Amino acid sequence: MVIAGCDVGSLSAEAVIMKDGSIVASEIIRVRPRPEQSASDVMDAALSKAGMTYKDIEGCFSTGYGREKIPFASGNISEISCHGKGAQWLIPSVRTVIDVGGQDCKVIKVDENGKLVNFVMNDKCAAGTGRFLEFMAKVLGIGIEDLGPQGLSSEQPVSITSFCSVYAETEVLHSIYEGKAVADIAAGINHAMSERVKALVKRVGVEEDICITGGVAKNTGVVKNLEAALQVSAQKLTVDPQLIGALGAALFAREALANQNR
Amino acid sequence: MVTKEAEELTQICETLSNPYLEDWKKEGGKIVGYACTYVPEEIIHAAGMLPYRIRGTGCVGTSLADTWLTRIANCSFARSILELALTGEYDFLDGVVFNNGCDHTRRGFENWKAQQNTPSFMYMLPVPHVITDDGLQWYREEVNSFKDAMEQSFGIEIKDEKLKEAVKVYNETRSLLKQLYELRTQKNPPISGAETLKILLASVSMPREKFNQLLRELLIEIRSREGISDYRARLMLVGSINDDPELIELIEDIGGLVVTDSLCFGARFFWDLDEETGDPMDSITARYYYHIPCPRMYGALPQRLDFLMSAVKEAAVDGVILQSIKFCDLHGVENVLEQKALEKAGIPTLKIEREYGPLADTGRFRTRVQAFLEQIGK
Repeated sequence: MVIAGCDVGSLSAEAVIMKDGSIVASEIIRVRPRPEQSASDVMDAALSKAGMTYKDIEGCFSTGYGREKIPFASGNISEISCHGKGAQWLIPSVRTVIDVGGQDCKVIKVDENGKLVNFVMNDKCAAGTGRFLEFMAKVLGIGIEDLGPQGLSSEQPVSITSFCSVYAETEVLHSIYEGKAVADIAAGINHAMSERVKALVKRVGVEEDICITGGVAKNTGVVKNLEAALQVSAQKLTVDPQLIGALGAALFAREALANQNR
Repeated sequence: MVTKEAEELTQICETLSNPYLEDWKKEGGKIVGYACTYVPEEIIHAAGMLPYRIRGTGCVGTSLADTWLTRIANCSFARSILELALTGEYDFLDGVVFNNGCDHTRRGFENWKAQQNTPSFMYMLPVPHVITDDGLQWYREEVNSFKDAMEQSFGIEIKDEKLKEAVKVYNETRSLLKQLYELRTQKNPPISGAETLKILLASVSMPREKFNQLLRELLIEIRSREGISDYRARLMLVGSINDDPELIELIEDIGGLVVTDSLCFGARFFWDLDEETGDPMDSITARYYYHIPCPRMYGALPQRLDFLMSAVKEAAVDGVILQSIKFCDLHGVENVLEQKALEKAGIPTLKIEREYGPLADTGRFRTRVQAFLEQIGK
């Protein structure tokens, strides 16, 4: 059985193709101006990797901000359910999923079947999202992928106290003018980011095991800070954390097919 | 057969003014605006004027209001009604009564009052923040002063018999709206939450006798409907003020049928009745003072929770959406307390902070409501 999931988010789009219960191909792209375009571009690429065509896909669900605009999807599920589903399928002991995406941060609780039990999502604010890291990396003049490794080498992280991304940017600029080392500022940014995520996590509480998904999970500095702040150790994912939403969507497509055939 | 007039009742709310108001003005009638459930409409009605509940309908930006209230600390509903006042959208009002309902609207009205071109009657009606016997006496005196001020400003006399008539008219509205809310508790409710709000908004935007007549007609038609059965879950909506049917449509479009509420453009506004015997000023005052309390009332959380829990039960809701407008301290905090009580009772909840009306970012709201429906397994 070939199934697929497509996650069109605010910054990136992902596609996952599964065959008989394992992932055979996946793709991540930067979003295009229109969600339909992002979806077909990312799915085209994944299909070509798998050596398949749209006709091979028996079921495909979409998720993410653009989930309702995906022409080839047979259904859509919120990214909140998908991240819970995908992460719990990969690591069955996971009960709390912290998904930090481009413009959202979500804390998702699931049961032993990967079903959504409870969740919180950040309110209308970029603090604690990938967008925050993107702003900060830009001010610092480094790539977003360098924030983590750079920060890890710091011994004296600067302190960034503003919750607001705009004011935090001013603080980072101030540190730059003061001549602070890039590593120390990067460490400060990662710490500030984890504090914002922690504030959200505390609203629903932590139930172990936990894992971190979404693009920000790739920032080793944020992950390390967050683990320390929450006093837990996050389970390591065996697939790219950015793909979890699309994976969850594929799993929901599989369930829908199974229900249909029953 | 329902008349065209009754059928069009749900369209009244789409604009601030409407043909009924225009006719009222043409015939020399006066309109007095108010913005809170603690302003007794019966007194304005008994004065021969039309009480009109101020709302933010049609506001698409708040660039003028932001000079007076700040974007970074004030509620977008308060900013929206101030914007409409500043752009002249409320010029059809002959008077405005405001109170200390919440600080955002109060300060909004104070800024409105400070302008050059305001209605001639701009009145502040203070309402006590505690529910006690002494408080009732105080509120009674304030309502009396409000009545005196109306009489003096407009050169009229508000007679007891007119107040008694108003009590009857307003009680009829409340009973009719209650019937509407009872229909919503059915397994297949004949009316959606969005349509209910539209009817409620009409009640505060037109001559009340006419509204009662049209709602009586409409209720017959509503009762004959088949009922909505294709919903995924029955939801209750609580929290900050909402005069925007689109917010409810957003929830209902993805299958969450809103079957009850405890909102101030909702149950809280009409639930309780005036006593029809005795001194009408006494009965009106007591009704407004003791009605289902707003979170502005200190120490009244138990009463609010009682109402919340009974509504959850009556309407057999699957989940409760607790929403608050950003910077709404009253409901923002209340929602946390109510969420805890609901969770303890095993009722799933979704807590959302939002902006008011057209300023809203609907995508994020939608995602959360959809996830909530998935969470409660519907």
